Amino acid sequence: MTTEKKQTGGSVLFNVLQQHGVEHVFGYPGGAIMPIYDALYDSDVQHFLCRHEQGAAFSAVGYARASGKVGVCLATSGPGATNLITGLADALADSIPVVAITGQVPTSAMGSDAFQEIDIFGLSLACTKHSFQVTNVNDLPKVLHKAFAIALEGRQGPVLVDIPKDVQLAEVTKSLEDFSQLRNKVKLPPANVGSAIALLSKAKKPVLYVGGGVGMANAIDELRAFSDITKIPSVSTLKGLGAIDPDDDNYLGMLGMHGTKASNIAVQECDLLIAVGARFDDRVTGKLNEFAPHAKIIHFDIDTAEINKRRAADAAILGDLKINLPALAIPLSINDWQEKCQQMKADFGWQYDHPGENIFAPAVLKEISDKMPKNSCVTTDVGQHQMWAAQHMEFDDPSNFLTSGGMGTMGFGIPAAIGAQVSRPTDCIIAVSGDGSFMMNVQELSTIKRFQLPVKILLIDNAKLGMVRQWQDLFFNGRLSETDLSDNPDFIMLATAFDIKAKQITKKSEVSAAVEEMLDHDGPYLLQVKIDAQDNVWPLVPPNTANDQMMESI
Amino acid sequence: MNQYQLTIKVDDKQVVLERILQVARYRGFLINGMNAKVNTGTNIGTIELMVKSERPIELLVDQINKLIDIKTVKVNKNATQQCDL
Ligand SMILES: Cc1ncc(C[n+]2csc(CCOP(=O)(O)OP(=O)(O)O)c2C)c(N)n1
Ligand SMILES: [Mg+2]
Repeated sequence: MTTEKKQTGGSVLFNVLQQHGVEHVFGYPGGAIMPIYDALYDSDVQHFLCRHEQGAAFSAVGYARASGKVGVCLATSGPGATNLITGLADALADSIPVVAITGQVPTSAMGSDAFQEIDIFGLSLACTKHSFQVTNVNDLPKVLHKAFAIALEGRQGPVLVDIPKDVQLAEVTKSLEDFSQLRNKVKLPPANVGSAIALLSKAKKPVLYVGGGVGMANAIDELRAFSDITKIPSVSTLKGLGAIDPDDDNYLGMLGMHGTKASNIAVQECDLLIAVGARFDDRVTGKLNEFAPHAKIIHFDIDTAEINKRRAADAAILGDLKINLPALAIPLSINDWQEKCQQMKADFGWQYDHPGENIFAPAVLKEISDKMPKNSCVTTDVGQHQMWAAQHMEFDDPSNFLTSGGMGTMGFGIPAAIGAQVSRPTDCIIAVSGDGSFMMNVQELSTIKRFQLPVKILLIDNAKLGMVRQWQDLFFNGRLSETDLSDNPDFIMLATAFDIKAKQITKKSEVSAAVEEMLDHDGPYLLQVKIDAQDNVWPLVPPNTANDQMMESI
Repeated sequence: MNQYQLTIKVDDKQVVLERILQVARYRGFLINGMNAKVNTGTNIGTIELMVKSERPIELLVDQINKLIDIKTVKVNKNATQQCDL
């Protein structure tokens, strides 16, 4: 007879994590999650201590996005749990599979305003795909399996499991049951391929509008095959970048508020827009009722609720892109349109000549993009530097460009880079940050230090909340309210305090050597690039304006 | 404004009612009336919801359908009407 050690809620958690192939988790301990941390002590799962639960949540997001696996984060009850919320909201907005585990006060104390008690289950309703609160330890294994299944099924997203302290301590008395994969709950009607093919074969000026769903569906090969066969001009959303081969002649770049002129004009002129895993977000469409005004719409998605949400579809193709995209891949005769689009792409290409000694951020980003090793992964924070990275860097896979798209969350870049580096220890991970955003999760430099993660940080320093400053200059009569950061700390000293090698550059002539030094350095490195506070992101489609009415300078 | 009546069948799980109410509010539907009961034999709950909105009801139906514990959502055509205000 074997004397098996009794399983508790805490140990069951790590058993289930391992059954799902989880090797790394990000978290922060506290009173109501101590039994789980006690079980961690005996577990093979590696824990990365972050220095703020928001950092743990973003690291889980970065881990998931860089690896395609589920990201896992842990936090205690009350303030620990509420600190996760921004990361969960970010994961919900960008459809990222994350499982968040929160400790809760013991069931007997729940509902009594106990110390560090907050109704995180209630709070989770608006910022997760689904959530659970487990009150009986025998339910825990099944709930955890379900959490993983839900995070990954259909349109992916974050799931929270709240576990009271007594449940973490309790012994499991029922034998662990096998779990069966959840079936896809939403039965999708058969795809309407016939009418889509009719629309496609009639189109004279079609455009392919590629979203983040392509990468999430693992359908990059199918998308590229579709684009090779149809030779259709294509544009990408922020989250879709990398899905289309950036060297494809028919690829016009990002569309929307800071999209390329060629992309936005092509979309405004097209007679058929094929949306693939994209959702007509307001940053993409500009003024909605003037977006792609002549176009019929074919909409591919896994989420029924996205069809007709912001733009009616003439043909909706619901389901798995890997199956549905090939069904529509037919050769087209659209030579004139292709030529016109390629001509626009050539005519409106990026210009990197920039007068004076000051460093031009787009040129630095382009240089890094050209020099970084293959399979590098770039994360960004939010602001001008983010849009410049999206415009001027090239990616051959969406899992190599991690940026907070739907939520636009400052503070994303550093912890997401940590998660990416943990999941891909041998790849070069570069966080492109701004001087405002960097300070939002600066404590995570400690996580970089502790694990000696060789993350490269490119800090684009304009001593401003630059994107807001740009809007104040353009749309609020230059009334610069609370966007000045000229009293920033000494970033070099700050990085050095965390054992991170750091260098500041201020002149164009210093860029090439500094970029090479950063990329060649073995450990973590911060390169502070001082730029002119007045530099703007162009083009810019002003809010509530049609996308062809873009501003290109002041 | 249009008024609609929805009949929603659910698995009787934690907070399923709260989830439905939250989605209705967030997606821009005012709740005019509600009726909820659970069949303790089957553990299936039935929720009738009267909602009012400028927005098409399909928007709400699709979003409620996405909730994990929902079995079916039906719009009761007869009870759907235009209303003032
Ligand atoms: C958490 C959060 N708070 C506020 C904002 C609003 N916001 C968007 S961009 C921006 C400025 C960012 O400054 P910085 O990181 O220095 O980037 P820059 O635009 O200067 O490149 C702000 C405040 C946000 N996106 N996220
Ligand atoms: Mg800045």
